[in-house]
Amino acid sequence: MTATFPKHIAAEGYIPPSRQQEPPRKSYKYIGQNLKRVEDPRLLTGHGQYIDDIAVPGMAHAAVLRSDRAHARIKRVDTSKAKALAGVYLVLTGAEAKEVTGATAQFASPPVVQYCLAVDRVRHVGEAVAAVVAENRYVAEDACDLIEVEYEDLPVVVDPEAAMTSSGDAVLHPERGPNNIAQHRTFTFGPVQEDFAKADVVVKRTLRWGRSGAQPLETVGCIASYEPGSGKFTMYTNSSFLNYVGWLVGASLGVSASKLNLIPCVTGGSFGSKLFTHKVMTLAGTLARAAGRPVKFLEDRLDNITSCDNHGSDRIYRCELALQRDGTMQSLRFQVIDDYGAYFQFGVGTHGNSLCQIVGPYRINSVQMELIAVLTNKCQQGAYRGFGSEVTNWMLERMADAAADELKMDPIELRRRNLIQPDQFPYVIPSGNLYDSGNYPAVLEEALRIAELPKWQKIRDDARAQGRCVGIGAATCQERSVFSATEFWSLNGTENPGFTLTSSPESTQLRVDPTGTIHVTLGSPFWGNSPETMATQIVAEQFQVDPSQVNVVYADTQSGFNSTGPGGSRFTVMIAGAIVGAAKQVKDKLLRVAGHMMEADAGDLEFRAGKIGLKGAPGKEKTIGEVALFAHYFRLNLPAGDDFASGVDASYVYDHPLTTMPAADRSHLGIFYPIMGHMCHLALVEVDPRTGKVAILDYVAVHDAGTVVNPMTLAGHIRGGTAQGIGTALYEKFHYDENGQLVTGTFADYLMPTLAEMPPAIRVGHVETPSPFTEYGIKGGGEGGRMGAPGALSRAIEDALTQYGVRCNELPLTPRKVRELVRAGEKP
Amino acid sequence: MTLIPMSLKVNGTRFERAVEPRRLLSDFLREDLDLKATHVGCEHGVCGTCTVLVDGQAVRSCLSFAVQADGCEVRTADGLAQGGKLSVLQQAFWEKHGLQCGFCTPGMLMVATELLERTPRPTKAEIEEAISANLCRCTGYYTIVESVQRAAEMMQEGAK
Amino acid sequence: MKPAPFEYVRPDSLPAALDALARHAPAGRILAGGQSLVPMMNLRLVKPAVLIDINRVPGLADIRVDGGELVIGALARHAALLASELVAKHCPLMVEAYRCVAHGPIRNRGTLGGNISHADPASEMPAVLAACEAKIGVRSAKRARTVPATEFFTGALATALAEGEMVTEIRIPIAKPGQGGAWRETANRKGDFAMAGVAAVVTVAGGKCTHASVAVAGMEQPGVRLPAVEKQLVGTALDAAAIAAADRMAAEVVRPGGSYHADPVYKRELVETLTTHALAAARERAR
Repeated sequence: MTATFPKHIAAEGYIPPSRQQEPPRKSYKYIGQNLKRVEDPRLLTGHGQYIDDIAVPGMAHAAVLRSDRAHARIKRVDTSKAKALAGVYLVLTGAEAKEVTGATAQFASPPVVQYCLAVDRVRHVGEAVAAVVAENRYVAEDACDLIEVEYEDLPVVVDPEAAMTSSGDAVLHPERGPNNIAQHRTFTFGPVQEDFAKADVVVKRTLRWGRSGAQPLETVGCIASYEPGSGKFTMYTNSSFLNYVGWLVGASLGVSASKLNLIPCVTGGSFGSKLFTHKVMTLAGTLARAAGRPVKFLEDRLDNITSCDNHGSDRIYRCELALQRDGTMQSLRFQVIDDYGAYFQFGVGTHGNSLCQIVGPYRINSVQMELIAVLTNKCQQGAYRGFGSEVTNWMLERMADAAADELKMDPIELRRRNLIQPDQFPYVIPSGNLYDSGNYPAVLEEALRIAELPKWQKIRDDARAQGRCVGIGAATCQERSVFSATEFWSLNGTENPGFTLTSSPESTQLRVDPTGTIHVTLGSPFWGNSPETMATQIVAEQFQVDPSQVNVVYADTQSGFNSTGPGGSRFTVMIAGAIVGAAKQVKDKLLRVAGHMMEADAGDLEFRAGKIGLKGAPGKEKTIGEVALFAHYFRLNLPAGDDFASGVDASYVYDHPLTTMPAADRSHLGIFYPIMGHMCHLALVEVDPRTGKVAILDYVAVHDAGTVVNPMTLAGHIRGGTAQGIGTALYEKFHYDENGQLVTGTFADYLMPTLAEMPPAIRVGHVETPSPFTEYGIKGGGEGGRMGAPGALSRAIEDALTQYGVRCNELPLTPRKVRELVRAGEKP
Repeated sequence: MTLIPMSLKVNGTRFERAVEPRRLLSDFLREDLDLKATHVGCEHGVCGTCTVLVDGQAVRSCLSFAVQADGCEVRTADGLAQGGKLSVLQQAFWEKHGLQCGFCTPGMLMVATELLERTPRPTKAEIEEAISANLCRCTGYYTIVESVQRAAEMMQEGAK
Repeated sequence: MKPAPFEYVRPDSLPAALDALARHAPAGRILAGGQSLVPMMNLRLVKPAVLIDINRVPGLADIRVDGGELVIGALARHAALLASELVAKHCPLMVEAYRCVAHGPIRNRGTLGGNISHADPASEMPAVLAACEAKIGVRSAKRARTVPATEFFTGALATALAEGEMVTEIRIPIAKPGQGGAWRETANRKGDFAMAGVAAVVTVAGGKCTHASVAVAGMEQPGVRLPAVEKQLVGTALDAAAIAAADRMAAEVVRPGGSYHADPVYKRELVETLTTHALAAARERAR
């Protein structure tokens, strides 16, 4: 294939060949259908079996005492009164836990050490200091009230720029360095200095992305049992990395993987925040072993808001975009300071993520990033829908709009001028990642067509004539899918990169039983994506059977194969690959057996409507059930040899379809997130300049997620993701005051959108550019609208408030904030 | 600790229990009666996930003590399906993709039930007013509104 | 987030309730709708030792008209008031404000008496009652008294209720001809507490304002009226200039307090804007 490369990356051998087995087709029987979800009936009747629905005999309940201050040494913890309370089985301090349980799992190098209970120091408000196990949660909380802690306050650091020059007692992890800088490194991809020197115009902005987080309605939990005779832990968990790296929890608990079984649960939402709930699992296991009975620890909302370990990015960007006078972008250079909070579990993985689509959909030639990661007295960051690249999407769209303003160009025209063109794919961007396929102009045109832009412009102009503030904003953004593990470590120092993980597979086991039912085992749980429905549709397509013939089950870690799970919009692509791989083996077996049964050549047979039949001979066929029954039970009627062993089953481990190593000198990061979706979001808003309130009058979202398995569920992610994007842009912030107190510490103050805050509709459109690298050409779309909404809304508000010269450089744009911007523009 | 005796009907079955006064209705339903459909999202009355019907009115069960339901008729999402079949409302949610993770869904089903019992032919605005009481983090709400519209339609068709 | 233990008493009459309140003072707290109290208990911000559940006390939830006053029992639910024809007719300002109060399920349980006893400065009803010149009926085991709304609220989360006292009714002069009221508020999301809210009631006769009452929500204290603003309005034609002068004064005289969501400067601006809209709407309705 011909591909487009930046000059600093040698084309020869850069792109591995495609492993695609199933090319995209013009039409399918089951793929592309709006199949009603397989998951729904049991969820609708209350039989979802979420973690809080599960009870284990003899189960006790845990609660934790959380720190009320942001940074302090723990001088003394007196648990005597708590222990004496009736119904209390156990009270454990951090120091006591540390005697038997090691640090929690983490991926930074060098590590930033965290324990499931704070040992000698608390580093953020809400950090757990001690835990109680009692007959029920009520008594456990009563006991927490009786624990006395003596603290010695330490200086509190909440400003990320101040964190860079912290010293002495203000340093959260003194073993790691003299200040609170966790990492400071510059990456240069391509001839940045040259490109800036040649440019006509340099546009500069300082941008601030506020700290929001997933806050799914179900919190994190774990039910841990410990069997003392065998020394084995069994845990129910609503984490998703269980079959990927779940054994690390065993490492923390000091047991081998043979002594740990993690059982997945239906999960009430994650959006990234439940990828790896290592702290909760480690704590529950510690408590179960110490208490001598099973322990359920379910975070309540206070636990989760203050201590979920999954706040989103919290960044300050100082950016420069170099362009020619005609609006063509040349180079992007920026410094980013990211406030990671008190720990650093994923290192700077969220910036690795950003770099996979750092030029957006634009033909920018070179990029330089100075990355400064700091630690402060806040709950640590984790993952939130976008995992850092939703932030750079916003940054790029702000810069594109800023450039349009400075060059006095229409912002949509400026984007159009810079879009990577359909004939340039696969397109390798300066950071080394690949964009597999796309048609960005088509997505833009479709969005403009659906919105009927001239109508919007008339609404805006008529409103302005009446003195009302109405504005239009557009964002053209990437939605990468199928993350590769290299993003977790490729930005670490090359001398000590840590665990250089390069596997991120997904596995499945397919089994056709004697009745012809096809059982699919997933190694990863349900968290609100639709894994059972996706698997059902793909299996149905592979075998040409009715979806009712498919049964989907979930594997625990004792029986599951290496599976990375949902996240980074990867699950549908990956499970499709695993199913195609396993199905090939299973179909071959069925054809062999059927061929024997029908005295035909396997190559002359086909799967059709639940049967296996002779091509071109409509009557000559057997149901899959008949063939499977024969394969299971009639060994002596089949030829000798392993090809005819009793049964019909196969497993398959599907590795990331396209990933390569970063360059040794990190002049590029290899290919690590190439299945590239794209979106165009358009927003029409009205702003009340007196109150700062924003109403979204209309909204259009056109997405390209390659071949779509189920348009209905994809549209659900687009709209739901846009709702979270609206929350991020206008409402949500974890706000810490100067003492490190979390001011927005309940749902009364951490404001997520209700239906009333949403636009009357989100009108969704579709463009499909299948991937050349995935099965059926599917791309991921789960992260959806959150990747584009902040950019579209920021511009729409700016446009509405043009007369005040407002610039939306900071999120969230709350009413107070918008009013502040208008006020500044009202001054004479 | 004094336990307070109480008697109530839940989904048509009468129960007699003695409970601690502070036992929240949400915990009583889930733990004492093993009815797991009602979910708990925030325990401070904002998200609406825990909504149940008490004497026909939608109520946030995390803001109610079990003892307060003494003598009352409580209905939860556990009781919507009858005879092993999804109710019309549940079928409509299934048809219209009214749920993704399903955690907020029981609360949505109960506010919808209250609405449809009071207003069998609700306007879109009335449905939106009811649904805006509860948080959903997955769907963006539109398919929930469509589900309730579809349920109302199906009920009207069924009534003919 | 489970509440701390408490003793539970459920009186079945008003005398029994007052008796329980006296007996358990100061630790005893009234449980009415629970929509303000129980979240605080779940968060363990408050740990009342005794809860006196008055939800079964008969006769406390009535809504009636009596001698030129709309009389609302303390236990009347927000939902009942929002739907009440009597309230719509005699205090439409309350209905308009209720559309901004929380959400359906909260209104199903929350009570007017409970809401004002809680006295959250960001709550709508204290401002509505102040603007309507309501009187609060208060009883204890020993006595009954009436407190004007403006004296009932003494500070943020603080009222004039003495130990052993509870609200039993709210009396609102019924709207007269020539009188118009309006509520305007700015909140972050629909149903949230007001960052600022203004209740305005004006009486117009012969083209001039003969009486005005203006109260604000979302400031430092609940149920605060703005007498300086009211004085400014009386005698004017409530034209644009008069309203503009009034709303500028309102912004100046309020004590806004401030929070993460709204700082004092922003609150003052909101008061100015909302007063304009509330007065203009009130004037229209006074015709």
